Parts: sequence; C-alpha cells; structure tokens
Amino acid sequence: MDVKALKAAHKLLAEYKYEPAKLKKGYTDKTLYINIGDNRIEAKDVPASMKEKFIGGKGYGLKYLWDATTPETKWNDPENEIVIAGGPLCGITQYPGAGKSLVVTISPMTDIPIDSNVGGYFGPYLKFSGWDALEIQGKAKEDIIIYIDGNNGVIRIDEAPLEAIDGHVVSEELTEMYADSEEDKKNISVISAGTAANHANIGLLNFSFYDIRRRVARLKQAGRGGIGRVLRDKKIKAIVIKFKGTKGDLNKPANQSLINKAGIKLHKQIHDYDDVQCRMRQIGTANIIEVMDEYDLLPTHNYQYGNHPDTHKIASNVFVEKYITQGMPDGCWFGCSLSCAKAADNFELKTGSYKGHKVTIDGPEYENAAGLGSNCGIFDPEMILEANFYCDTYGVDTISFGTICAFAMECYERGIINKEITGGLELKFGNAIAQLELLHQMSRGEGFGALIGLGVKQLKRIFVEEHGADPDFLNDIGMEQKGLEVSEYLPKESLAQQGGYGLTNKGPQHDEAWLIFMDMVNNQIPTFEDKAEALHYFPMFRTWFGLMGLCKLPWNDTSPPDNHLTDEPAKMPEHVQHYVNIYNGVTGSNIDKDELILQSERIYNFQRIFNIRRGKGLRKHDAMPYRAIGPVTFEEYESRKERYDQQLKDLLDYNPEGKTTEEKIKIMREYRLNQYELLTDAVYKRRGWTPNGVPTIEHLSKIGMELPELVEVVKNHI
Amino acid sequence: MKILVKNDDLCIGCGACEEVCSTAYFKENNIEKSCIQVEKGEDNKINVCNQCGVCIDICPVMVIGRNKSGVVRINKRDCVGCFMCVGFCPELSMRQHDDYIEPFKCVACGLCARKCPTAAIAIEDVEKEGKEKL
Amino acid sequence: MIKVNSKDFEWEEGLTVQKLLDKKKYTFPKIYVTINGEIVEKEEYDITLIKDGDDVKVIHLLAGG
Repeated sequence: MDVKALKAAHKLLAEYKYEPAKLKKGYTDKTLYINIGDNRIEAKDVPASMKEKFIGGKGYGLKYLWDATTPETKWNDPENEIVIAGGPLCGITQYPGAGKSLVVTISPMTDIPIDSNVGGYFGPYLKFSGWDALEIQGKAKEDIIIYIDGNNGVIRIDEAPLEAIDGHVVSEELTEMYADSEEDKKNISVISAGTAANHANIGLLNFSFYDIRRRVARLKQAGRGGIGRVLRDKKIKAIVIKFKGTKGDLNKPANQSLINKAGIKLHKQIHDYDDVQCRMRQIGTANIIEVMDEYDLLPTHNYQYGNHPDTHKIASNVFVEKYITQGMPDGCWFGCSLSCAKAADNFELKTGSYKGHKVTIDGPEYENAAGLGSNCGIFDPEMILEANFYCDTYGVDTISFGTICAFAMECYERGIINKEITGGLELKFGNAIAQLELLHQMSRGEGFGALIGLGVKQLKRIFVEEHGADPDFLNDIGMEQKGLEVSEYLPKESLAQQGGYGLTNKGPQHDEAWLIFMDMVNNQIPTFEDKAEALHYFPMFRTWFGLMGLCKLPWNDTSPPDNHLTDEPAKMPEHVQHYVNIYNGVTGSNIDKDELILQSERIYNFQRIFNIRRGKGLRKHDAMPYRAIGPVTFEEYESRKERYDQQLKDLLDYNPEGKTTEEKIKIMREYRLNQYELLTDAVYKRRGWTPNGVPTIEHLSKIGMELPELVEVVKNHI
Repeated sequence: MKILVKNDDLCIGCGACEEVCSTAYFKENNIEKSCIQVEKGEDNKINVCNQCGVCIDICPVMVIGRNKSGVVRINKRDCVGCFMCVGFCPELSMRQHDDYIEPFKCVACGLCARKCPTAAIAIEDVEKEGKEKL
Repeated sequence: MIKVNSKDFEWEEGLTVQKLLDKKKYTFPKIYVTINGEIVEKEEYDITLIKDGDDVKVIHLLAGG
C-alpha cells in the first residue's frame, strides 16, 4: 500500500490550531465543533449547567443534538449531527472497560436519536487531545478525512479522493499514513464506515485500535441505528485521531487511589474466576451461544424457535478451538482485563471483493453468531465468520442485517416473496452463500441486497405495496420496533424482556435491560410491580455506562465469589460500589448508588422527551411485533405445544382439550398482548410517566430536569 | 536467568530486606514500597517475584520484557498504568503504590540478599526450565 | 413435589442438586443454589439430596450483552 500517493492527493480544506485544554477531574470542559459544510472548526466551552445535568458521553451527545436540530430535521439534513463523546471516566486505564465512546445522531432507521456505545481508542484519545466531545455538522461536497493531532493541537479537513472506503482497508491505510513508525501506530485511532454504508440505512461506524501483537488495525463497531449511513451521507471517509503519551493518570483524577483499588480488585477477580464463569477472556460474549440454545432463547429461523439441533456446530468451543487466536490481550482499551474482543487471524475469505485475502476478523460476538447464524438457519462457523468480516468492513450492523435477513428468508419460505423478487437468490433458511451475496450487493448498492439494507420496516411496506403481502402477518413476524431491528434474544417466554426490548428509548436493543433469567428462569420478579421495578432500575443503571464512557460487560459478566450472599445479587452490589468509587475518584464528587441512578434518570427522560418532540416516544411506539410476545403461527405453537397448552390451563383456566391450534393461538394472543399492556402501565407508572408514556412535569421536577424546553414539549401531551 | 531465591524457614522477619529495597528504589523506608515483602508471624512468608514472566503477556502495551539476564523488567516510561499485571501476577508479587502510576517489581538486584542476616534470600542464576525448584 | 424457583417440580427418590440441574438443563455457569434458603456449595451438588417438599432456588445471575 502506497500511502504517500494517497496522502499526496489530499487537498487541504481547513486547518485549525489550538492549545489542547488540560484535563481536570475527568473533564476538559471544552468540546470541538466541526462544520464540514462550510469547513468551520470551533471550540466550545461547556457551561457548568450542562455539565451538571448532562454529565458526559451520551448526555452531551443528546444535548448537542437537541440544540442542533429541529423537530423536523431528517437524518440526511445537513444540520443533523454526529456527536462522539467519552465521559468523565473514559480513558482511565485501571478499571476494565473504560475506553468507550458514545455516538449519537438522528437515525435513518428510526427518525429519532440513536445512541451507540463503542470501543477502540478514539474516545480516550479525543479527551487526551483536549475535547470532551466532538460534534460534526454539515455535509461535505467531496469525500473528506478529518484529522485531529492531539499532541500538536492541529485539526485538518482534507479532501481525500483515493483512500478506500471499506473499514478494514481504510483503517490500515490511515494508521500507516499518520503513524511515524510501527511503534507509533497504537497512538492512532480511525473512525470509518464501509461501502455498504454508502447505500444501506443499517450502515455502522468502525472505531479502530491498533493491535500491537497481531500488528493490525482492529475494529470495534458503533453498530446500531445507521450512524455509518449518516457518516457517508456527509461524505466523511474517516475521522483520524492521534495522541501519543497515554499514561494512567491523564484524566487527572481527584483521588487516584480509589480508582487503583477498585481496578486491581477487579483485575484479580477476573484472573481468579473468569475461567470458571463466563470465559470472557477465552471467547468473549460468544460463550452464551450454547447457553441460549439450552434455555430455548437462541433465535432461530426469524425468532420462530429458541433452539436448533445444529447449534453444537457453532458452539463457542468450535470458535475457540478452530479459529480464535488465544493468549493475546484482547482489550479494546488499555487495562481491560476482561478482554472480550476476540480475533480469528489468517482467515481466508471465500467470497466477495476480498476473496482469497487472508484477514483478521474481530469476532464472533454472540450477537453475530446468533444474528448471522442461527436466526438465519446458518450453522456453518466459517460462513458466520465471513459474514461477520464483511459486515464490519462494508460497514453493516450485524444485528440489523441478521434480523432483516431472517425476516426475508421467512417471507421467501412462506412464498410471500420469490426468486423473481430476490433477483434469483434462493433465500431459504440456511443458505449462507445467498446471505453473503446480499452483503456484496449491499456494498455495491445493487439488487435485493440494497433493499435489505433499508431494514425490516421498509421491507414490510415494499412487500405489501409492491407484492401484495398481508400487512398484518408481516407486522407480526417482522422483528422491528421504532424502525430498529430486535437484537438476538428470543423474548417470547419473558414478559419482562418484552418490556426490556419494547419500553426503550432507541428501539429494541438489549443494552437497557436483559431480564430473561431473572424473570423467566429465576422467577424473581413475578408481579407487574416487580417487573416494573426491574424495568426502571436496570435501564437507568445501564444508561449510566453511556454517560461515563464505560462498557457494561465488566459489571455483570464477571462476579465476585461472594456475590450470591449479598442482598441483591442481580445488581452486583460490589461492582456498583466500584463504580461509585471510581466516579468519585475521578471527579472528586461524593455520590452514592442512588445519585448514580438519578444522573441516568435525567438523561433517560431527556431522551424520551427528545423522541416525543419528534412526534414519537409515545405508548403506541412502544408496541412490539407479536413474534416477540408469543407464537404467531401454527408451527410455532405446535413446536412447544405442551408448554403452551399448560399455560392455557394454569394461567387462563382454559381447557385446551379438543380445541384447534388456531383457537388456542387466538386465546393465547389475547392474553399475552394484554399482559404486555398491563406491564406497560406498571412501567410507565414506575418511571413517572403518564399512561401515554410521557414524563410528567412533577417527575421532571423531582429529578431536577424541569428545563423549560422539556416542559414545553411534554405540556402538549398532558 | 537471575532470580532471587528464598527460604522461608530461615527468615526471622527482621525487615532488613524491605528497608534496603524501598530505600534504594524509592528513597524511603516503607514496606509498601518494597519489592520484596515478608508476611510476618509465627511462620514468616517471603513474597517476591520469581521472574516467571506471566506479566509479559498480560501487558497491553508490551512494556514488560526480559533483559539479557532473564530478569523481567518494566519500561515505566511507556507503561500506561493499568495494573493488569498486578491483578494477574500468580505470585502476587507485582507491586503497586498509589504514589506512583506504574507498578514495580523485583529486578533481582541482590541488595536485600546482601543485607539478610540469615541468608534466607539469595541471588541465583537458574535455567529457565529449572524454575520448578521454586 | 418440590418447588424450583417457586414453581412446582416433580420430586423423585435420590434427587440431588446436580440431577435437578441436569433435568432442568440449567447449564449456565454463573448460578447459585439454595435449598430452603441455605446455600449449597458447588462442590456439593453431587452429594446434596433434595427432600420432598423442599424449596429450591436456582438463581442465574444476569448475563447478555
């Protein structure tokens, strides 16, 4: 690769010099604004009021996005922003999982704000370069690269015609271009998308981190909600940051000792127990593939079923034994001893633009194996890895793609669409080659693959309008809500998880609450009030990671050995205390675990009202497709007949003897949908919202968020 | 390779090794800043790095390595202070003190061995494979 | 009849904690078990007998992400 030639073709559009602001107690209190429409680069001061209420990370992102847009702003309007921010804890190295960036934009999938939590070195380097957040607004005329040199205080916008678009290539090119030496490469992080993001609304962002042992730029993804599509629509090829000189105390914490103690304790715990707990260091999140199958929770054939006889072919140990390089520190930020970012090296691709290339594939993560694999009826580990690779490099959200593909496959198998519509692809469950072809088409913006890239919501409309499909049936089996595809867990037998998906701000992603075990298996939250409490606490708690620049995994994918003896094991009390301590350690505050929740509640309600401001965010938008709630079809009911018949007897006092399956499905459906409504009532009440899902002014006042612009929005709905 | 070998039975828990170590490296007589540390009691237990090198592979920035004598050393200039090596040390002898943002460890310099009144510790040159004798 | 996570479950002679876990296909690595409120240590799953009428809890600690 001749990066000199690539660089020589750059044309400088703007340059900005600055004195990097000093970090103090986790903040620089400066943010960077770049308008690529008129090549304007400015520094902003963060007002104390914003810092107090919005904290950082996703809080800052949502606040800036609110200010930058109107209720009518569309995702591809120039005023839509991409905001990237760490948070006060982002960049500490002692506590695992502290290198996250939070990315916010108006989503092309949902038409409301999306927020995505991503690893890689960009977030910490942005802060060390003097910026608590980066706002990008406007649209460039030609493809550009934004470069931030955090040591010398230089920001450039360059026209960049020659660099590749695909994530793994452009990340390598730019790492090479901007590093002074091999040793310097770890000081570079690149944000990119991929060629599919040129066309597909499910486009994602890749954030790189240089793996000094494998000597390759690896990629972590801000996957959900189409942020990569927005990046490419703005004609940004990449955003590159360089910062040399990372040390353990660059956040200038108020009390380093608190952070050290919590961090070392967790490192030691992971060292002692991870091998017998989640094996995150060995295989990462993929450890639960076979677990989900055992508990009938692994989505197969578009969420019709929860397990499959072939799951053993893609069980975690298959990847461990055959593909994943072991013994490497796989943290996506320094100091992450949980190290879940697995990689398969020297993997020879069998299809597509890079056929024959030997590449390093990051993954598979659980969601990829389930979404690209079981949900599409694909149980070939090599095909899953290959699809994983192409999703990443083309810039495609694996979760949305998996769920869309599964939906299209079911439509194909049921004769709703046919070969004529798919352009000759035999889109049956299990056809891995067809799935890969969809990806390649998407990268070229052609054929049925280009349609797939629009998402389930749009596909449903197209199948109804153009191919005469039954809209009710498609609404039942199309696993999207708010325009976002459901992530890869089967929630049918857990009412709380239906709420965990449905009663969310951005759409059905499991990062607010994963309650299936607590609810369905442990039976710990039997009443509506219990479930509502869980659907208050966990979403609020997990929102906090997004305010801080933290990863969720070190919270509950490793446990203290005596966790089960605590009063609330599901909350991991010792870890919650670690979080309180590291927050106080960095910022010098003195919060407790309740104030932690309050910090999140402010942002959570702000985001809800942001949705309402845009004409969404109400009760009707929180309804879920019935496939997520119960058996839609004859086959689904019959496959778990014993379970469902028993439930009819136990829960409804209904005798299934002599009834047709159709009758039983109907009775079951009425019951389950009603349960979801009752759950919704309970959750809204617990969250301080009206029955229509609108935060009340009293509640806003109680949480210290009675801001005039919020009251203005909600008062029209109360 | 050079390592500091120990014999707990000979140790009288006098603390001379800790004093000389912390004074040499941190200009302070402070057990918590000593690379060698003795858990004192009825039986004294000497805790010190055996140069096994597990930390070398743990380090995310590859700043831990062996020198020519086989001694495991930390390049503190480039250390990012994550302390993963502290949590993952099988001997619990990678040290950390809140006054510093990098960990520290025994470099088998032998100062303590010279001070030890009972010869409970000594510098030995051992084959890598000979580590079992520890 | 015993209770497992507050739901009825058929009891049988010689039912140990491990046999119960196998029957229920509870394979998740991060679980803990109590019988009538008393913790059963992992090492004792094989030898701990469950008596008819016991209240057994098999608590799976949250995962997923």
